[in-house]
Amino acid sequence: MQVLGLGSVSPRMASGMQEKQFTASLLNFFVYNPTFGPREGEEEKKILFYHPSEVEKNEKIRNVGLCEAIVQFTRTFCPTKPAKSLHTQKNRQFFFEPEDNFWMVMVVRNPMIEKPNKDGKPPTQEYQEEEILDTVYGAVVKECYSMYKLFNGTFGRAVEAGGAELLIQKLEKFFYRYLQTLHLQSCDLLDVFGGISFFPLDKMTYLKIQSFVNRVEESLSLIKYTAFLYNDQLIWSGLEQDDMRILYKYLTTSLFPRHSEPELAGRDSPLRPEVAGNLLHYGRFLTGPTNLKDPEAKFRFPKIFVSTEDGYEELHLIVYKAMSAAACFMISASVELTRDFCEQLDALVGPQLTLLASDICEQFTVNRRISGPEKEPQFKFIYFNHMNLAEKSTIHMRKTASVCLTSVHPDLMKILGDINCDFARVDEDEEIIVKAMTDYWVVGKKSDQRELYVILNQKNANLIEVNEEVKRLCATQFNNIFFLD
Amino acid sequence: MEGDSQRASASWENGTLAPGEHLRSDRAESPLPGLVEGTEPGAGQKSAMFVHAQSFEDLTAEAEEEVQREAEINKSGESEEELKVLVGEKEPHSSDMTSESRTKEEDVTSEAWRSHRKHVFVLSDAGKPIYTRYGTEEALSSIMGVMMALVSVVEAEKNIIRSIQADGCKVVFLTKSPLVLVGVSRTCQSDKELLRELQYIYYQIVSLLTLTQLNNIFKNKQNYDLRRLLSGSEYLTDNLLTRLERDPGLLLSAVTCLPLASSTRDTVSSSLQAAKSKNLVFSILLAGDRLVTLLRKKDQFLHHIDLHLVFNLVGSSSSFREGEGWTPICLPKFNTAGFFHAHISYLEPASELCLILVSTDREDFFNMSDCKQRFMERLSKRSAYPALKEALKSPTYSVEQVGIPELRHFLYKSKSSGLYTSPEFPDVYKSDCEQERLMGLYQDLHSSLHHPTRPLRYVYRCGETENLLAWVTSGFELYLCFSPLGTKALAVAAVTKLLKWIRKEEDRLFILSPLTY
Repeated sequence: MQVLGLGSVSPRMASGMQEKQFTASLLNFFVYNPTFGPREGEEEKKILFYHPSEVEKNEKIRNVGLCEAIVQFTRTFCPTKPAKSLHTQKNRQFFFEPEDNFWMVMVVRNPMIEKPNKDGKPPTQEYQEEEILDTVYGAVVKECYSMYKLFNGTFGRAVEAGGAELLIQKLEKFFYRYLQTLHLQSCDLLDVFGGISFFPLDKMTYLKIQSFVNRVEESLSLIKYTAFLYNDQLIWSGLEQDDMRILYKYLTTSLFPRHSEPELAGRDSPLRPEVAGNLLHYGRFLTGPTNLKDPEAKFRFPKIFVSTEDGYEELHLIVYKAMSAAACFMISASVELTRDFCEQLDALVGPQLTLLASDICEQFTVNRRISGPEKEPQFKFIYFNHMNLAEKSTIHMRKTASVCLTSVHPDLMKILGDINCDFARVDEDEEIIVKAMTDYWVVGKKSDQRELYVILNQKNANLIEVNEEVKRLCATQFNNIFFLD
Repeated sequence: MEGDSQRASASWENGTLAPGEHLRSDRAESPLPGLVEGTEPGAGQKSAMFVHAQSFEDLTAEAEEEVQREAEINKSGESEEELKVLVGEKEPHSSDMTSESRTKEEDVTSEAWRSHRKHVFVLSDAGKPIYTRYGTEEALSSIMGVMMALVSVVEAEKNIIRSIQADGCKVVFLTKSPLVLVGVSRTCQSDKELLRELQYIYYQIVSLLTLTQLNNIFKNKQNYDLRRLLSGSEYLTDNLLTRLERDPGLLLSAVTCLPLASSTRDTVSSSLQAAKSKNLVFSILLAGDRLVTLLRKKDQFLHHIDLHLVFNLVGSSSSFREGEGWTPICLPKFNTAGFFHAHISYLEPASELCLILVSTDREDFFNMSDCKQRFMERLSKRSAYPALKEALKSPTYSVEQVGIPELRHFLYKSKSSGLYTSPEFPDVYKSDCEQERLMGLYQDLHSSLHHPTRPLRYVYRCGETENLLAWVTSGFELYLCFSPLGTKALAVAAVTKLLKWIRKEEDRLFILSPLTY
């Protein structure tokens, strides 16, 4: 099975009759707060956002009511740990209470096969109830909230500032677009980790980047935080881990892909942004003004919210890119950013970043030449470190804005997810090796906050040989950080 | 023995292997024919649950007054017969209240009640409480009402509720109209494992009533309080739940045998075979929870679930030790519509050996008693009997006998025979708590191997407390538990060695030549 589009259909022939296969898809997404409409007849007031919006009012109220009942009922048995999901034949619902009394609910329809019936009878629907992994979609809901919060601050903040009305507006504005970017059928273990891919670098180049960041922050003292990425991979960040994690997600799955085309285009292509005689560098703003020379240019940047010791702060997000190097500069939102400042930044950062980018590129090419030409990786693996959120996957092709392609069968990806669930249940080091019915071997190792999953296509290997292979991988790729037998 | 009085009036057709149309029409006339037989609750005390030979004729008129009173309370239109039946059920129920409440009384709002590892609730379609593992049904009626409401709300969308997941706790629903079963678990068990357990509980209830009767009861009176019929039998469900947590047989869908020289077993089997009777369908000889031999009518097969229900019935009731028991039992995997009648007795008063003779005829008590007599006569003439009794002294074996270092325990199931073998739990897993933990690990492995859409052939799991290996082929299922010192190389070698050992011991550990009538 290939990965399909959102709720897409793939006909397949079976015994002469055409069956339709539907992938997992988003059915509903809503946000409610039971304290906003506690009295009978006021139920609608609880609902702050509901997708799809055209659903009839009573159905919305009914669905929210069911969630409330499930949550309440579960408290009978677990007063401290709230319900996380509801499984039904046709769908799964995921609950998340990110702030007191604010509930986010995502309803995902199970994959389904529709089988036509003879004699004009309506087709039979067969739901595949074991295909959706709770951990994966639970993480997706949490990420929805983190992304909202990154650009809007907390739900509570909106209510304080402008009552439920303002929150409703903000939710509508944000989720209307954001939900269209969810690609539920291609979510997998990587969504559970929500990790950051780090760019591997030698010490010298790393120091160069660090000194670049220091210089810029010194010259432009308005800058509070800086993050530096190359090739969609992180090199340096001054932000808290959790803030960086979500910002990284935004940059790599939304902002960068939207701006990748001009760079791929040839030098003289009309697509290429006007460099306006400035041939000293390739730097340009990905947020804010597209062309500094334009007298009409607006100097407005997206605002983001990051955590501080005593709450959160609002910042302008400036993303500036030269070739494959991108620098994010964050400046307190209370400061108004002017043309002057932007010109200053462009003049300072543009040439240096261009130079750095080519340095890194050169270094990268040298390293690659040493380690041999790029080919299908010998080992298919996913690695994640809970301590620094570092993740690495040789299973996933490059993530794009739309879909995330993997090079292995979706069932194998789900087996990785199953093993991850097993690990999550016990807080101790463990190793699980399984052989699937397709004779693929899957190895999971958890050791001291690190998790490694390897898929081996060695059908005739036995347990001992599989173990040897994984040992080899650990020795070459991870410097033997796994100690289990 | 109050319940006995109704048996005479019950117009229940003899249980047959395949219910004909006539059966169904018979039942339609009266909603509860033969209830007496199904739930003979002699109530409360385990012994009264079953009719004994000694009291076979012992009919009393004690219930007469009750009948009158009940007739006034109940709406007219219900048959006299049903009323009598209900009375028979009700009376012992009330007399039993004291002992029942003693064990079940618990504050259902307390932390202690909440934190039980596994709750099980059974309710009717109408939301009426039928069973709870902890606490009393009365105290829980509102919670069960909510459960039913959740089921109905989801049903209204033409959907089916399966489970609710929370951190460290899950609620699993099984709707088996007219019943709804709900499990609340703090264990790591998968939904599928929990559902399997609820299925067992469902079959346990069906085995007391038959599904036909169950359906009829609720068809006639949706609001019926089924506890009136089941009171006194709750201990069966309680015990079954304990078994589900400890007995690998229920996990593996298999039973285990008493280790016995094949010559001895064959002699016992042939003695049992000789003691046949027209309506005798199954003869089962048990030693505790272990099968000595099982004979069946040609073409008739006993499902492992049914067999475990029989094991549970025998193992839960001390009353069969007091004489020959004669009880109706529905074997739901065989036929949910009718009752069989089981003659249950121990070979000797203090013996572990229990003989169960299953007949289709409810008037067959004396025939069955005679079969047992003939079997005993035949058996006691032979040297096999002392050999059998000798074997009872070692009903299990230690894993050391297999001679594999670091191997602590294993389960091996032969798929074709439905039999499994397993050594006794070693010292590390002797305590109930540790035993249940190991069973939990086996259940995990079982769930992984038998995943509904992503089944696995092989699982090796290496943790801090033990290393586990599970392997399923078309012929067998194997689960091994090693000490954490065991290596992978050792595990691979152990499998080969263990399979050889089992092959060598197979005629002792399994029933290789089952006989039929």
